[in-house]
Amino acid sequence: MLHTNGRDDVLAARHGLVHLGEEAGFSARSLSTLQLSAGPQTVTMVLLKNLHPPTEGVRHEQAETTAVMDGQRLGCGTLYVAETRLSWFDGSGMGFCLEYPTISLHAISRDVSAYPQEHLYVMVNGKLSDENEAEMAEKPADEEEEEDDSSSGGGDDDDDEEGRITEIRFVPSDKAALESMFSAMCECQALHPDPEDEDSDNDFEGEEYDVEEAEAEHGHADIPTFYTCDEGLSSLTQEGQATLERLEGMLAQSVAQQYHMAGVRTEESKPEFEDGMEVDAAAMEAGQFEDADVDH
Amino acid sequence: MESEGAESTSSGPGPVEVVNSIRERTIAENSMVVLLQGLQGEVTTVDLRNESTARGRVVNVDAFMNVRLEDVLYRDRRGQVTRLQDLFITGRNIRYVHIPDHVDIMKTIQSQLAKIHRVRNFASLGGGRKEYAKKTK
Repeated sequence: MLHTNGRDDVLAARHGLVHLGEEAGFSARSLSTLQLSAGPQTVTMVLLKNLHPPTEGVRHEQAETTAVMDGQRLGCGTLYVAETRLSWFDGSGMGFCLEYPTISLHAISRDVSAYPQEHLYVMVNGKLSDENEAEMAEKPADEEEEEDDSSSGGGDDDDDEEGRITEIRFVPSDKAALESMFSAMCECQALHPDPEDEDSDNDFEGEEYDVEEAEAEHGHADIPTFYTCDEGLSSLTQEGQATLERLEGMLAQSVAQQYHMAGVRTEESKPEFEDGMEVDAAAMEAGQFEDADVDH
Repeated sequence: MESEGAESTSSGPGPVEVVNSIRERTIAENSMVVLLQGLQGEVTTVDLRNESTARGRVVNVDAFMNVRLEDVLYRDRRGQVTRLQDLFITGRNIRYVHIPDHVDIMKTIQSQLAKIHRVRNFASLGGGRKEYAKKTK
């Protein structure tokens, strides 16, 4: 007998989620829905046919990862941390996905006294299943004892939607992968800033050194975390400044005469060139630095 | 590790101090987030909107106020405490970030803004490799 709950289906359709009842047994009825007959509660598990693992923008993929949702062990599968959404599939086509804006926080838990396995903890805003009566802040100790019990009592459950959360734990068999999983999620979360929270003036009109662009163009980033030529200018002493000016003057004088260097732009006036490489190359032109006090 | 993307901190050798994206720099310098960014390395408490709190060392705060903490004691609204190695809190879910008493707020803001300006002016001062400089400059 198929038991359907309209609201659940809508939720599932919106979030692409899988709902599980309190016990693991199930029987397959059709391709699109499975019924779980379990104790007092019967919940529909909805398989979305068009739900499949992401192929693009996958920052991290972790196989052999068990998913536990609000204490419910969903089985072992593969976690996909993609730029568009977070998803998990058990290999037989069943799975769920989470939109990053719904994720409040994620963390690496290595405290085995709190939860027996090291895992990636994800807290999602709101309840993924209305039928799931799990408490908002489920004590990890409870989960140890009652791993299959989704509810730890509904006494002071908050009816306020904002207070309701879902806790998901992704337990990879490879614990060393937790850092990569965590980092990948951090990066993807950063790609989904809160649309409600926009500052009015986000555009900088002036010219700026775009580190990302520089990196994309030629695979390195001149990030001024150390003093390079011009950054160091501000920390030159007076003596240093004088020396710099003298050297620049000498360079300007010699180099201005002739300038043929393959691969180097020559449009700019030479005094601005402070990269030592140019000096060396120029020195190969005989006679240029005869009057200069330069050792090579 | 993964590519930097919009994050300014990679999980590699250590946190990069400057924010890589122009947009993030602009957002940051126009809001109090710069103060939080200056808390990198400090141990502090973050109050979440769901009434839980997280206390740990600030690894990174981005322009969207996403906070990454390490060595965290996470206390849920019931008072249950869990230890977490690394924690990433979405900016949207943060209510308060406590500023440690010993932190000089004005100085922190000023030095953060200075860092942003240093990066911003990096190219106009002639920094960066000349042969790769953009034609539009």
